Amino acid sequence: MEEKVFTLKEAVSRFINDGDVVAVGGVGRNRSPMALVREIVRQGKKNLHIVGREKGMDFDMLIGAGCARKVSFALVSLEEFGLAMNFRRKAQAGEIELDEHACDSVITSLRAAAMGLPFLPVRGMFGSDVYRVSKSLTEITCPFTGEKLAAVKAIKPHVTIIHAHQADKYGNVRIQGSPFEDILKAWAAQRTIVTVEEIIDHEEIRKNPHLTTIPYIYITAVIHQPKGAWPASCDRYYDSDREEVRAYAQAIKTPEGFQEYLEERVLNRRD
Amino acid sequence: MTEYTVAELMAVSLAREIKDGDRVLQGLYSPLPMMACLLAKNFHAPNMVYFNTADTIDPQPKEVPFSTAGPALQERAVAYIPLWQTFDLAQRGDLDLIFLGAAQVDKYGNTNLSVIGPYEKPKVRLPGGAASAHLCALMETVIWVPRHNARVLVEKVDFVTGQGHLPGGRDRKEAGIPKGGPRKVVTNLCVMDFEPETKAMRLVSLHPGVTLDEVKENTGFELIIPERVETTEPPGKEHLEFMREIDPKGVRELEFH
Repeated sequence: MEEKVFTLKEAVSRFINDGDVVAVGGVGRNRSPMALVREIVRQGKKNLHIVGREKGMDFDMLIGAGCARKVSFALVSLEEFGLAMNFRRKAQAGEIELDEHACDSVITSLRAAAMGLPFLPVRGMFGSDVYRVSKSLTEITCPFTGEKLAAVKAIKPHVTIIHAHQADKYGNVRIQGSPFEDILKAWAAQRTIVTVEEIIDHEEIRKNPHLTTIPYIYITAVIHQPKGAWPASCDRYYDSDREEVRAYAQAIKTPEGFQEYLEERVLNRRD
Repeated sequence: MTEYTVAELMAVSLAREIKDGDRVLQGLYSPLPMMACLLAKNFHAPNMVYFNTADTIDPQPKEVPFSTAGPALQERAVAYIPLWQTFDLAQRGDLDLIFLGAAQVDKYGNTNLSVIGPYEKPKVRLPGGAASAHLCALMETVIWVPRHNARVLVEKVDFVTGQGHLPGGRDRKEAGIPKGGPRKVVTNLCVMDFEPETKAMRLVSLHPGVTLDEVKENTGFELIIPERVETTEPPGKEHLEFMREIDPKGVRELEFH
Protein backbone atom coordinates (compact mmCIF):
# COMPACT_ATOMS: atom_id res chain seq x y z
CA MET A 1 0.00 0.00 0.00
CA GLU A 2 1.27 3.41 -0.85
CA GLU A 3 0.63 6.60 1.09
CA LYS A 4 -1.66 8.95 -0.78
CA VAL A 5 -2.23 11.98 1.40
CA PHE A 6 -2.28 15.18 -0.66
CA THR A 7 -3.29 18.78 -0.19
CA LEU A 8 -6.52 19.91 -1.80
CA LYS A 9 -4.57 21.95 -4.31
CA GLU A 10 -2.20 19.15 -5.30
CA ALA A 11 -4.93 16.54 -5.65
CA VAL A 12 -7.17 18.66 -7.88
CA SER A 13 -4.25 19.83 -9.97
CA ARG A 14 -2.79 16.33 -10.48
CA PHE A 15 -5.87 14.17 -10.79
CA ILE A 16 -8.57 16.28 -12.47
CA ASN A 17 -8.03 17.25 -16.09
CA ASP A 18 -9.99 19.56 -18.34
CA GLY A 19 -12.64 17.55 -20.18
CA ASP A 20 -12.87 14.79 -17.55
CA VAL A 21 -16.07 12.98 -16.64
CA VAL A 22 -16.45 13.76 -12.92
CA ALA A 23 -18.90 11.93 -10.64
CA VAL A 24 -19.77 14.05 -7.59
CA GLY A 25 -20.72 12.48 -4.24
CA GLY A 26 -23.50 13.35 -1.82
CA VAL A 27 -27.19 14.14 -2.26
CA GLY A 28 -28.90 17.53 -2.13
CA ARG A 29 -26.83 19.41 0.44
CA ASN A 30 -25.67 16.36 2.33
CA ARG A 31 -22.06 15.17 2.31
CA SER A 32 -21.38 17.07 -0.92
CA PRO A 33 -17.61 17.44 -1.55
CA MET A 34 -17.80 21.23 -1.44
CA ALA A 35 -14.12 21.93 -0.63
CA LEU A 36 -13.16 19.95 -3.74
CA VAL A 37 -15.80 21.77 -5.78
CA ARG A 38 -14.43 25.16 -4.65
CA GLU A 39 -10.88 24.07 -5.48
CA ILE A 40 -11.97 22.98 -8.97
CA VAL A 41 -13.48 26.45 -9.41
CA ARG A 42 -10.30 28.15 -8.13
CA GLN A 43 -8.15 26.17 -10.54
CA GLY A 44 -10.52 27.04 -13.40
CA LYS A 45 -10.99 23.50 -14.71
CA LYS A 46 -12.93 23.46 -17.98
CA ASN A 47 -15.28 21.30 -20.06
CA LEU A 48 -16.05 18.84 -17.29
CA HIS A 49 -18.91 16.39 -17.69
CA ILE A 50 -20.41 16.25 -14.20
CA VAL A 51 -22.50 13.30 -13.06
CA GLY A 52 -24.83 12.91 -10.10
CA ARG A 53 -28.35 12.05 -9.06
CA GLU A 54 -30.00 14.80 -7.01
CA LYS A 55 -27.57 17.68 -6.81
CA GLY A 56 -27.61 21.20 -5.43
CA MET A 57 -25.11 23.95 -4.80
CA ASP A 58 -22.19 21.74 -5.93
CA PHE A 59 -23.49 21.37 -9.49
CA ASP A 60 -24.86 24.89 -9.64
CA MET A 61 -21.47 26.37 -8.68
CA LEU A 62 -19.50 24.23 -11.17
CA ILE A 63 -21.95 25.20 -13.90
CA GLY A 64 -22.04 28.90 -12.99
CA ALA A 65 -18.25 29.14 -12.78
CA GLY A 66 -17.94 27.74 -16.30
CA CYS A 67 -16.25 24.48 -15.25
CA ALA A 68 -18.95 22.16 -16.63
CA ARG A 69 -19.89 21.61 -20.25
CA LYS A 70 -22.20 18.62 -19.82
CA VAL A 71 -24.46 17.55 -16.96
CA SER A 72 -25.87 14.06 -16.31
CA PHE A 73 -28.53 14.47 -13.63
CA ALA A 74 -31.99 13.63 -12.35
CA LEU A 75 -32.49 16.86 -10.41
CA VAL A 76 -30.55 20.06 -9.68
CA SER A 77 -32.19 22.17 -6.99
CA LEU A 78 -31.49 24.11 -3.81
CA GLU A 79 -34.42 22.34 -2.12
CA GLU A 80 -36.38 24.85 0.01
CA PHE A 81 -34.15 27.71 -1.20
CA GLY A 82 -35.47 27.36 -4.73
CA LEU A 83 -34.14 26.93 -8.23
CA ALA A 84 -30.47 26.41 -9.01
CA MET A 85 -30.29 29.61 -11.06
CA ASN A 86 -26.91 29.06 -12.75
CA PHE A 87 -28.12 25.67 -13.96
CA ARG A 88 -31.35 27.26 -15.14
CA ARG A 89 -29.73 30.21 -16.94
CA LYS A 90 -27.05 28.16 -18.70
CA ALA A 91 -29.55 25.46 -19.69
CA GLN A 92 -31.96 28.05 -21.09
CA ALA A 93 -29.15 29.74 -23.01
CA GLY A 94 -28.04 26.39 -24.44
CA GLU A 95 -24.59 26.83 -22.89
CA ILE A 96 -24.50 23.41 -21.25
CA GLU A 97 -25.41 20.02 -22.65
CA LEU A 98 -28.04 18.23 -20.59
CA ASP A 99 -28.22 14.47 -20.19
CA GLU A 100 -31.45 14.26 -18.20
CA HIS A 101 -32.22 11.06 -16.33
CA ALA A 102 -34.38 9.52 -13.67
CA CYS A 103 -32.52 8.87 -10.42
CA ASP A 104 -32.37 5.18 -11.13
CA SER A 105 -31.10 5.49 -14.68
CA VAL A 106 -28.21 7.80 -13.79
CA ILE A 107 -27.24 5.46 -10.96
CA THR A 108 -27.55 2.49 -13.31
CA SER A 109 -25.18 4.17 -15.77
CA LEU A 110 -22.59 4.16 -12.96
CA ARG A 111 -23.41 0.60 -11.92
CA ALA A 112 -22.73 -0.49 -15.51
CA ALA A 113 -19.35 1.27 -15.41
CA ALA A 114 -18.53 -0.33 -12.04
CA MET A 115 -19.33 -3.74 -13.54
CA GLY A 116 -17.21 -3.07 -16.61
CA LEU A 117 -20.27 -3.29 -18.89
CA PRO A 118 -21.32 -0.96 -21.73
CA PHE A 119 -24.94 -0.78 -20.53
CA LEU A 120 -27.48 -2.25 -18.14
CA PRO A 121 -31.22 -2.69 -18.57
CA VAL A 122 -33.85 -1.04 -16.36
CA ARG A 123 -37.57 -1.60 -16.14
CA GLY A 124 -39.74 1.54 -16.30
CA MET A 125 -38.97 4.78 -18.18
CA PHE A 126 -41.39 4.08 -21.08
CA GLY A 127 -44.03 6.72 -21.65
CA SER A 128 -41.88 9.45 -20.13
CA ASP A 129 -40.53 12.23 -22.33
CA VAL A 130 -37.26 11.86 -20.39
CA TYR A 131 -36.92 8.52 -22.15
CA ARG A 132 -38.09 9.94 -25.50
CA VAL A 133 -35.50 12.75 -25.65
CA SER A 134 -32.60 10.84 -24.07
CA LYS A 135 -29.52 9.81 -26.03
CA SER A 136 -28.45 7.59 -23.11
CA LEU A 137 -31.53 5.35 -23.10
CA THR A 138 -32.90 3.05 -25.78
CA GLU A 139 -35.24 0.08 -26.02
CA ILE A 140 -33.95 -3.49 -25.93
CA THR A 141 -35.71 -6.82 -25.84
CA CYS A 142 -34.72 -9.41 -23.27
CA PRO A 143 -33.27 -12.38 -25.23
CA PHE A 144 -34.75 -14.82 -22.71
CA THR A 145 -38.22 -13.51 -21.93
CA GLY A 146 -38.94 -11.09 -24.76
CA GLU A 147 -39.70 -8.31 -22.26
CA LYS A 148 -39.04 -4.80 -23.51
CA LEU A 149 -36.65 -2.89 -21.27
CA ALA A 150 -34.73 0.37 -21.40
CA ALA A 151 -30.98 0.01 -21.91
CA VAL A 152 -28.97 2.62 -20.01
CA LYS A 153 -25.58 3.56 -21.45
CA ALA A 154 -22.64 3.31 -19.02
CA ILE A 155 -21.06 6.54 -17.78
CA LYS A 156 -17.40 5.91 -16.92
CA PRO A 157 -16.06 8.67 -14.71
CA HIS A 158 -12.42 9.58 -15.11
CA VAL A 159 -12.60 10.78 -11.56
CA THR A 160 -15.01 10.62 -8.63
CA ILE A 161 -14.92 13.24 -5.87
CA ILE A 162 -16.45 12.50 -2.47
CA HIS A 163 -16.36 13.71 1.10
CA ALA A 164 -16.24 11.02 3.81
CA HIS A 165 -15.84 10.76 7.54
CA GLN A 166 -12.53 8.97 7.99
CA ALA A 167 -9.68 7.32 6.11
CA ASP A 168 -6.17 6.14 6.82
CA LYS A 169 -3.19 7.48 4.88
CA TYR A 170 -3.50 4.65 2.37
CA GLY A 171 -7.08 5.52 1.43
CA ASN A 172 -9.10 2.95 3.35
CA VAL A 173 -12.27 4.99 3.71
CA ARG A 174 -15.08 4.91 6.25
CA ILE A 175 -18.43 6.41 5.36
CA GLN A 176 -20.30 6.32 8.63
CA GLY A 177 -23.81 7.38 7.68
CA SER A 178 -26.04 7.61 4.62
CA PRO A 179 -24.02 5.99 1.84
CA PHE A 180 -25.79 7.66 -1.10
CA GLU A 181 -24.07 6.45 -4.33
CA ASP A 182 -20.60 7.39 -3.14
CA ILE A 183 -19.26 3.85 -2.89
CA LEU A 184 -20.66 2.98 -6.30
CA LYS A 185 -19.13 6.14 -7.76
CA ALA A 186 -15.72 5.13 -6.43
CA TRP A 187 -16.13 1.64 -7.91
CA ALA A 188 -17.08 3.13 -11.30
CA ALA A 189 -14.24 5.65 -11.66
CA GLN A 190 -10.65 5.42 -12.87
CA ARG A 191 -9.55 7.69 -10.00
CA THR A 192 -11.25 8.74 -6.76
CA ILE A 193 -10.37 11.75 -4.64
CA VAL A 194 -11.72 11.79 -1.10
CA THR A 195 -11.68 14.56 1.48
CA VAL A 196 -12.16 13.35 5.06
CA GLU A 197 -13.03 14.85 8.40
CA GLU A 198 -10.32 12.77 10.08
CA ILE A 199 -7.28 10.77 9.12
CA ILE A 200 -7.12 7.75 11.38
CA ASP A 201 -4.40 5.31 12.25
CA HIS A 202 -3.90 2.38 9.90
CA GLU A 203 -4.02 -0.01 12.87
CA GLU A 204 -7.55 1.21 13.57
CA ILE A 205 -8.53 0.08 10.05
CA ARG A 206 -6.87 -3.31 10.65
CA LYS A 207 -8.75 -3.75 13.93
CA ASN A 208 -12.17 -3.04 12.42
CA PRO A 209 -12.16 -4.01 8.73
CA HIS A 210 -15.97 -4.28 8.77
CA LEU A 211 -16.07 -0.49 9.08
CA THR A 212 -14.14 0.13 5.86
CA THR A 213 -16.67 1.10 3.19
CA ILE A 214 -14.22 1.84 0.34
CA PRO A 215 -10.88 -0.02 0.37
CA TYR A 216 -7.65 1.64 -0.78
CA ILE A 217 -7.66 -0.09 -4.17
CA TYR A 218 -10.30 2.40 -5.37
CA ILE A 219 -8.74 5.54 -3.88
CA THR A 220 -6.22 7.81 -5.59
CA ALA A 221 -5.90 10.66 -3.11
CA VAL A 222 -6.86 11.35 0.49
CA ILE A 223 -7.11 14.92 1.77
CA HIS A 224 -7.49 15.84 5.41
CA GLN A 225 -10.23 18.44 5.15
CA PRO A 226 -12.33 19.02 8.27
CA LYS A 227 -15.64 20.66 7.28
CA GLY A 228 -14.94 19.60 3.71
CA ALA A 229 -18.67 19.28 3.00
CA TRP A 230 -19.58 22.75 4.30
CA PRO A 231 -22.12 24.26 3.79
CA ALA A 232 -23.55 20.80 3.11
CA SER A 233 -24.02 18.47 6.06
CA CYS A 234 -21.68 15.70 7.15
CA ASP A 235 -23.68 13.32 9.29
CA ARG A 236 -22.29 12.78 12.82
CA TYR A 237 -20.08 15.87 12.42
CA TYR A 238 -22.33 18.82 11.41
CA ASP A 239 -25.66 19.66 9.82
CA SER A 240 -25.99 21.82 6.70
CA ASP A 241 -25.42 25.55 7.11
CA ARG A 242 -28.78 26.91 6.01
CA GLU A 243 -27.70 30.53 6.33
CA GLU A 244 -24.86 29.99 3.86
CA VAL A 245 -27.11 28.14 1.40
CA ARG A 246 -29.65 30.94 1.74
CA ALA A 247 -26.93 33.51 0.99
CA TYR A 248 -25.88 31.48 -2.04
CA ALA A 249 -29.48 31.19 -3.28
CA GLN A 250 -29.83 34.96 -2.93
CA ALA A 251 -26.53 35.65 -4.72
CA ILE A 252 -27.25 33.47 -7.77
CA LYS A 253 -30.41 35.34 -8.65
CA THR A 254 -28.21 37.41 -10.97
CA PRO A 255 -24.94 36.52 -12.75
CA GLU A 256 -23.35 39.56 -11.07
CA GLY A 257 -24.45 38.40 -7.64
CA PHE A 258 -22.98 34.98 -8.32
CA GLN A 259 -19.69 36.53 -9.48
CA GLU A 260 -19.48 38.54 -6.26
CA TYR A 261 -20.18 35.44 -4.21
CA LEU A 262 -17.46 33.53 -6.06
CA GLU A 263 -14.90 36.25 -5.56
CA GLU A 264 -15.70 36.77 -1.92
CA ARG A 265 -16.20 33.20 -0.77
CA VAL A 266 -14.37 30.98 -3.22
CA LEU A 267 -11.70 32.63 -5.36
CA ASN A 268 -10.19 34.81 -2.66
CA ARG A 269 -10.51 32.25 0.08
CA ARG A 270 -8.74 29.00 0.85
CA ASP A 271 -10.29 25.84 2.17
CA MET B 1 -62.45 22.91 17.05
CA THR B 2 -58.65 22.71 17.00
CA GLU B 3 -56.90 25.18 14.69
CA TYR B 4 -54.70 23.70 11.99
CA THR B 5 -52.81 24.93 8.92
CA VAL B 6 -53.40 23.81 5.34
CA ALA B 7 -49.95 22.12 5.45
CA GLU B 8 -51.11 20.05 8.40
CA LEU B 9 -54.35 19.16 6.65
CA MET B 10 -52.40 18.11 3.54
CA ALA B 11 -49.91 16.05 5.57
CA VAL B 12 -52.75 14.13 7.20
CA SER B 13 -54.53 13.68 3.85
CA LEU B 14 -51.33 12.25 2.32
CA ALA B 15 -50.83 10.00 5.34
CA ARG B 16 -54.31 8.50 4.79
CA GLU B 17 -53.13 7.20 1.42
CA ILE B 18 -50.63 4.92 3.17
CA LYS B 19 -52.10 1.54 4.03
CA ASP B 20 -50.73 -0.64 6.81
CA GLY B 21 -47.96 -2.79 5.34
CA ASP B 22 -47.24 -0.46 2.39
CA ARG B 23 -43.63 0.10 1.42
CA VAL B 24 -43.33 3.84 0.81
CA LEU B 25 -40.46 5.98 -0.48
CA GLN B 26 -40.10 9.66 0.43
CA GLY B 27 -37.91 11.75 -1.86
CA LEU B 28 -35.79 14.89 -1.71
CA TYR B 29 -37.43 18.24 -0.88
CA SER B 30 -40.49 16.37 0.33
CA PRO B 31 -41.46 17.85 3.70
CA LEU B 32 -45.14 16.85 3.48
CA PRO B 33 -44.46 13.25 2.37
CA MET B 34 -41.92 12.99 5.21
CA MET B 35 -44.60 14.11 7.70
CA ALA B 36 -47.13 11.75 6.06
CA CYS B 37 -44.84 8.73 6.44
CA LEU B 38 -44.07 9.53 10.06
CA LEU B 39 -47.76 10.14 10.82
CA ALA B 40 -48.86 6.91 9.14
CA LYS B 41 -46.24 4.84 10.92
CA ASN B 42 -47.07 6.39 14.28
CA PHE B 43 -50.86 6.10 13.97
CA HIS B 44 -52.83 3.95 11.53
CA ALA B 45 -50.09 2.03 9.65
CA PRO B 46 -47.49 0.73 12.13
CA ASN B 47 -46.41 -1.95 9.67
CA MET B 48 -45.72 0.37 6.76
CA VAL B 49 -42.05 0.48 5.76
CA TYR B 50 -40.60 3.96 5.48
CA PHE B 51 -37.79 4.40 2.91
CA ASN B 52 -36.28 7.84 2.29
CA THR B 53 -33.54 9.84 0.56
CA ALA B 54 -31.32 9.72 3.63
CA ASP B 55 -30.99 6.05 2.67
CA THR B 56 -32.52 4.64 5.83
CA ILE B 57 -35.38 2.34 6.81
CA ASP B 58 -37.91 3.31 9.47
CA PRO B 59 -36.14 6.24 11.16
CA GLN B 60 -37.67 7.85 14.25
CA PRO B 61 -36.27 11.39 14.24
CA LYS B 62 -36.69 13.40 17.40
CA GLU B 63 -36.92 16.49 15.20
CA VAL B 64 -37.41 16.36 11.40
CA PRO B 65 -34.69 17.88 9.18
CA PHE B 66 -35.12 20.74 6.69
CA SER B 67 -33.32 18.78 3.97
CA THR B 68 -35.31 15.58 3.59
CA ALA B 69 -32.05 13.68 2.97
CA GLY B 70 -30.61 15.27 6.14
CA PRO B 71 -28.84 13.50 8.99
CA ALA B 72 -31.87 13.53 11.33
CA LEU B 73 -33.52 10.91 9.10
CA GLN B 74 -30.89 8.45 10.34
CA GLU B 75 -31.99 8.67 13.98
CA ARG B 76 -33.19 5.37 15.39
CA ALA B 77 -33.40 3.84 11.90
CA VAL B 78 -33.01 0.07 11.65
CA ALA B 79 -30.59 0.09 8.72
CA TYR B 80 -29.06 2.02 5.86
CA ILE B 81 -30.19 1.12 2.37
CA PRO B 82 -28.69 2.91 -0.60
CA LEU B 83 -31.42 4.36 -2.79
CA TRP B 84 -30.37 2.21 -5.73
CA GLN B 85 -31.29 -0.85 -3.68
CA THR B 86 -34.70 0.65 -2.95
CA PHE B 87 -35.07 1.16 -6.70
CA ASP B 88 -34.19 -2.50 -7.19
CA LEU B 89 -37.13 -3.33 -4.92
CA ALA B 90 -39.34 -1.06 -7.03
CA GLN B 91 -38.23 -2.78 -10.21
CA ARG B 92 -39.14 -6.18 -8.70
CA GLY B 93 -42.59 -4.85 -7.78
CA ASP B 94 -41.81 -4.66 -4.06
CA LEU B 95 -42.34 -0.94 -3.46
CA ASP B 96 -45.94 0.26 -3.15
CA LEU B 97 -46.16 4.03 -3.16
CA ILE B 98 -44.31 7.27 -3.78
CA PHE B 99 -45.36 10.88 -3.41
CA LEU B 100 -44.67 13.27 -6.28
CA GLY B 101 -44.35 17.01 -6.48
CA ALA B 102 -44.58 18.82 -9.82
CA ALA B 103 -44.52 22.20 -11.52
CA GLN B 104 -47.38 21.08 -13.79
CA VAL B 105 -49.95 18.30 -13.37
CA ASP B 106 -52.41 17.58 -16.16
CA LYS B 107 -55.88 16.09 -16.09
CA TYR B 108 -54.51 12.56 -16.54
CA GLY B 109 -52.02 12.97 -13.72
CA ASN B 110 -48.93 13.33 -15.90
CA THR B 111 -46.36 15.50 -14.12
CA ASN B 112 -43.72 17.90 -15.39
CA LEU B 113 -40.60 18.94 -13.54
CA SER B 114 -38.37 19.38 -16.60
CA VAL B 115 -39.25 22.35 -18.83
CA ILE B 116 -41.86 24.98 -19.56
CA GLY B 117 -41.87 25.48 -23.32
CA PRO B 118 -40.06 23.34 -25.91
CA TYR B 119 -37.45 20.92 -24.53
CA GLU B 120 -34.51 22.07 -26.66
CA LYS B 121 -35.18 25.76 -26.16
CA PRO B 122 -37.08 26.00 -22.88
CA LYS B 123 -38.71 29.14 -21.58
CA VAL B 124 -38.04 27.85 -18.08
CA ARG B 125 -35.64 25.06 -17.25
CA LEU B 126 -37.01 23.31 -14.14
CA PRO B 127 -34.95 21.17 -11.71
CA GLY B 128 -35.73 17.77 -13.23
CA GLY B 129 -38.07 15.03 -12.09
CA ALA B 130 -35.72 13.10 -9.76
CA ALA B 131 -36.94 9.49 -9.59
CA SER B 132 -40.26 10.03 -11.36
CA ALA B 133 -39.64 8.78 -14.94
CA HIS B 134 -38.56 5.44 -13.50
CA LEU B 135 -40.84 4.97 -10.50
CA CYS B 136 -44.07 6.36 -12.01
CA ALA B 137 -43.86 3.50 -14.52
CA LEU B 138 -43.70 0.89 -11.78
CA MET B 139 -46.12 1.75 -8.99
CA GLU B 140 -48.95 3.87 -7.67
CA THR B 141 -48.26 7.51 -6.98
CA VAL B 142 -49.89 10.28 -4.97
CA ILE B 143 -49.26 13.82 -6.18
CA TRP B 144 -49.13 16.77 -3.81
CA VAL B 145 -49.70 20.36 -4.93
CA PRO B 146 -49.19 23.15 -2.36
CA ARG B 147 -50.47 25.81 -4.79
CA HIS B 148 -53.58 24.72 -6.63
CA ASN B 149 -53.93 27.13 -9.57
CA ALA B 150 -54.50 27.01 -13.32
CA ARG B 151 -50.78 27.29 -14.10
CA VAL B 152 -50.05 24.12 -12.14
CA LEU B 153 -53.22 22.13 -12.87
CA VAL B 154 -53.13 22.26 -16.68
CA GLU B 155 -54.96 20.58 -19.56
CA LYS B 156 -51.71 19.08 -20.90
CA VAL B 157 -48.21 19.20 -19.44
CA ASP B 158 -45.47 20.73 -21.62
CA PHE B 159 -43.31 17.66 -20.98
CA VAL B 160 -44.16 14.31 -19.39
CA THR B 161 -41.44 13.83 -16.77
CA GLY B 162 -43.49 11.46 -14.61
CA GLN B 163 -45.96 9.16 -16.35
CA GLY B 164 -49.52 9.61 -15.19
CA HIS B 165 -52.29 7.91 -17.11
CA LEU B 166 -50.66 9.39 -20.29
CA PRO B 167 -53.40 10.56 -22.70
CA GLY B 168 -55.88 8.54 -20.62
CA GLY B 169 -57.89 5.33 -20.86
CA ARG B 170 -55.73 2.27 -21.60
CA ASP B 171 -52.67 4.19 -22.66
CA ARG B 172 -50.33 3.03 -19.90
CA LYS B 173 -50.82 -0.53 -21.04
CA GLU B 174 -50.04 0.43 -24.63
CA ALA B 175 -46.90 2.27 -23.53
CA GLY B 176 -45.67 -0.91 -21.85
CA ILE B 177 -46.19 0.23 -18.25
CA PRO B 178 -49.35 -1.61 -17.21
CA LYS B 179 -48.91 -1.40 -13.43
CA GLY B 180 -49.64 1.50 -11.12
CA GLY B 181 -50.33 5.09 -12.04
CA PRO B 182 -51.51 8.13 -10.11
CA ARG B 183 -54.11 7.38 -7.49
CA LYS B 184 -54.81 10.70 -5.81
CA VAL B 185 -53.92 14.36 -6.05
CA VAL B 186 -53.89 16.29 -2.77
CA THR B 187 -53.77 20.09 -3.08
CA ASN B 188 -54.17 23.04 -0.75
CA LEU B 189 -57.84 23.19 -1.83
CA CYS B 190 -59.08 19.64 -2.29
CA VAL B 191 -58.47 15.93 -2.84
CA MET B 192 -58.95 14.41 -6.31
CA ASP B 193 -58.77 10.94 -7.84
CA PHE B 194 -59.14 9.56 -11.38
CA GLU B 195 -62.36 8.34 -13.00
CA PRO B 196 -61.78 4.60 -13.65
CA GLU B 197 -62.81 4.51 -17.37
CA THR B 198 -61.39 7.72 -18.82
CA LYS B 199 -58.65 8.13 -16.18
CA ALA B 200 -59.45 11.84 -16.05
CA MET B 201 -59.12 13.75 -12.78
CA ARG B 202 -62.19 13.86 -10.56
CA LEU B 203 -62.97 15.77 -7.40
CA VAL B 204 -63.30 13.69 -4.23
CA SER B 205 -63.44 16.15 -1.35
CA LEU B 206 -63.16 19.88 -0.71
CA HIS B 207 -61.08 21.03 2.24
CA PRO B 208 -63.17 22.69 4.97
CA GLY B 209 -64.08 26.24 3.93
CA VAL B 210 -63.18 25.78 0.25
CA THR B 211 -65.95 26.22 -2.35
CA LEU B 212 -66.51 24.27 -5.53
CA ASP B 213 -66.22 27.48 -7.57
CA GLU B 214 -62.83 28.19 -6.05
CA VAL B 215 -61.55 24.79 -7.21
CA LYS B 216 -63.07 25.17 -10.69
CA GLU B 217 -61.59 28.66 -11.13
CA ASN B 218 -58.16 27.46 -10.13
CA THR B 219 -58.10 24.37 -12.35
CA GLY B 220 -56.93 24.71 -15.95
CA PHE B 221 -59.15 21.93 -17.31
CA GLU B 222 -62.64 20.64 -16.81
CA LEU B 223 -62.56 18.63 -13.62
CA ILE B 224 -65.07 15.81 -13.24
CA ILE B 225 -67.46 16.71 -10.43
CA PRO B 226 -69.23 13.71 -8.92
CA GLU B 227 -72.78 13.91 -7.60
CA ARG B 228 -71.59 13.72 -4.05
CA VAL B 229 -68.61 15.81 -2.97
CA GLU B 230 -67.27 15.14 0.52
CA THR B 231 -65.51 17.47 2.93
CA THR B 232 -61.91 16.49 3.68
CA GLU B 233 -61.60 15.21 7.22
CA PRO B 234 -59.48 17.62 9.28
CA PRO B 235 -56.47 16.44 11.29
CA GLY B 236 -57.22 15.08 14.74
CA LYS B 237 -55.82 16.59 17.92
CA GLU B 238 -53.38 13.67 18.26
CA HIS B 239 -52.06 14.23 14.71
CA LEU B 240 -51.49 17.91 15.36
CA GLU B 241 -49.72 17.25 18.65
CA PHE B 242 -47.48 14.70 17.01
CA MET B 243 -46.55 17.00 14.11
CA ARG B 244 -45.84 19.93 16.39
CA GLU B 245 -43.66 17.79 18.60
CA ILE B 246 -41.44 16.37 15.84
CA ASP B 247 -41.47 19.57 13.80
CA PRO B 248 -41.13 22.54 16.15
CA LYS B 249 -39.41 24.69 13.48
CA GLY B 250 -42.15 24.31 10.87
CA VAL B 251 -40.45 22.24 8.16
CA ARG B 252 -43.96 21.20 7.04
CA GLU B 253 -44.75 24.85 6.22
CA LEU B 254 -41.72 25.31 3.89
CA GLU B 255 -43.74 25.15 0.69
CA PHE B 256 -46.34 27.62 1.89
CA HIS B 257 -44.28 30.77 2.53
